[in-house]
Formats: sequence, C-alpha cells, structure tokens
Amino acid sequence: MIALIFYSLIGAGLLALLVILALRQRGAVEGSGEQFAQARQSLVTLRSGLLGANAVERIFDPRDWNFIQAGTSAEIHDLFLAERKRISLLWVSRLRGEIRNLMHFHLGYSRLHGKLELETEIRLAWDFALLLSACRALEVLLYLRGPYGAPGMVGITAGAAARVCATSEQSLGLLSPLSKDAFRRDSAEGGAAV
Amino acid sequence: MTKAFKTKDVLAAEQDLRSRTLAHMPQRLERLLYLASTRDYNTGVYRHDGLAVRFSEQAACEALADCHREAFTELLDCPLEELVKQLERYAAGTRSRSDFIAAWRELEPYRVAVPSGTDSLSSELLFSNLKVALAILQNRPADPDSPGPGASPRLLLVQ
Repeated sequence: MIALIFYSLIGAGLLALLVILALRQRGAVEGSGEQFAQARQSLVTLRSGLLGANAVERIFDPRDWNFIQAGTSAEIHDLFLAERKRISLLWVSRLRGEIRNLMHFHLGYSRLHGKLELETEIRLAWDFALLLSACRALEVLLYLRGPYGAPGMVGITAGAAARVCATSEQSLGLLSPLSKDAFRRDSAEGGAAV
Repeated sequence: MTKAFKTKDVLAAEQDLRSRTLAHMPQRLERLLYLASTRDYNTGVYRHDGLAVRFSEQAACEALADCHREAFTELLDCPLEELVKQLERYAAGTRSRSDFIAAWRELEPYRVAVPSGTDSLSSELLFSNLKVALAILQNRPADPDSPGPGASPRLLLVQ
C-alpha cells in the first residue's frame, strides 16, 4: 500500500513536470523583439538608475546618518533608519529584478545566437548566479542589520552588477548600432525589422 | 531643420527661465515646487504665459519640463542636512511654521511635485528624506535667523 502511494506520488510529480515544460514551450518566442526591448530597458535602468554613482551614494550616504546621530532624538533615529532600510531594500529588490530580466533574456537569446563565445557565456552564467545570490544575501543583511550594516557588501554587489552589465552588453552587443545591424543580419530576408 | 530650430528655441526659453525667474529662487526646494506648480495636473502640460509669448507654447512647455527634471535631480542629490535647512527656510516664509509642518506631514503635497517619467526609487528616496526632514523640523525650535513670512515669494501647488 505504501509502495503504491509512493509510486503514485512520483508519477504525479513527473506529470506535473511535463505540464510545466509544455506550458513553458507555449510562452513567448525566445529572443523576440519584446524581450529585446525589455532587456535593453533593464540595461538602461541598471546603468542610469540603480547602479548610477548618485543613486548608490545617496541611499547609503553615511553623512546622513552622522547628521542624524549628531543632533536628533532617538525617535528620529528610529524613523530615519526605518525609512532608509525600506529604501535600501527597495533598491536591492529592483536591482535583483532587473538582473533577473537580463539573465532570462540572455539565456533565451544565447541559444539562438551561434556566434557567442562559450567561455564568455559560461563566465556570464556563473556571474549571474553569483550576483543573484549576492543580492539575496545583501537583502537579508540589510533587513537584519539595517542600511548601514553592510557597506562593503553594497559596494561589492553594485560593482559586480556593473561588471555583469558590461559583459552582457559586450557579449550581446546591446544598445550599439553595430550590433543592431548584426541583429538584423540574423533575421531572415524580408523578416521583421528590429 | 524644424527640429534644430525647435531645440534652439527650447534652449533659449530655458535660458530665459533661469535668468528671469529661477534666479530669484535660490532654494532648490522652492524651484522644484514652483516648476511643479506650472504643470497642469489634468494634462501634464506645463504653462507659462510670459515664456509662451516670448517663444512658443511648445518651447515654454519643454523648457519648464527640462528645468523641472533638473530641479528634482538637484534636490535628490542634497544631503539630508542640506534638505532640512532648505525646508527650514521654506517653512520660515510661511504664515505659521507649525501649521506648515502639520499640513505637509498630513497632506504630503510634495508627492505631486515629481516630474513625469521619474524612476519610482528616486521619488521614494526624496519622499522618505522629506518625511524625515519634517520630523526633524517638528522636534526643533524655529531658527531665529530665518527670514520671516514674505521674505521670499511663497508658492502654491495649485495654479
């Protein structure tokens, strides 16, 4: 009886896996224009917004905390730390989301693009995995220790994200007119313009 | 050709706006609120009669929008200490400092002063800083050196 339940569960699990795989295949065509635009937007958001020197510096600026500590009450300390913690968590969550968008696009596109170097792709996949883990770890640290509890980790994560963006951009040639031509050349003659 | 002319027109309108109007507003916060007040909340279009007469409605609108974005970025880049000072000076120009603080804490009028297309993280950071700055002001006695009401033109967030 126990064996029957056990094998039934395994069977149900395999069936569920098949359904998930079938549903995934019905999704959007990998490397489609929409995904391209989304990845491009992610890169722009990362470069100009989330990873811009001003954004990171302003959110984690120790001068603000020094000012608060120097001349305000404990009530203000708590309010400031709670507010800055909320903003820093929002920042890291947005950063993770954009990195994930970029990774999904990259995974889909690299399967269609034969000219990508294997070594670069492996390195990039590894970097994406490490970066997403670092974002999660940073999220936990910020949650537990507050916005000023992990200054080194913030710098490392932001730096790693910037490097991954640069490698991804270089690999796929996003945002450069030259690569748009390459993208056009990849399309069949008379295909949709990019 | 038309585009180049238009850009030149917008640049000239911006220059005019900076030298005639914004030059009289040394505070970044004041500039941001003034520029936000020139925007029609129903349409998102900026209006300034003087600029529109000298240039064109389109050029005036684009110049105001550009200066608004610039004022927002400048205020966002302010350290918290500087933001508190700016808010202190702005509050000192109102009829009642305590009423001002109470109204701003309750109504949060600064939320409508954000330029369109602003990243949500940036606007949240500014709102958060203003919230803390208002709490600091509330717990702090008024600065006797601050200019009193009427020392600088007070701005309304409605047209």
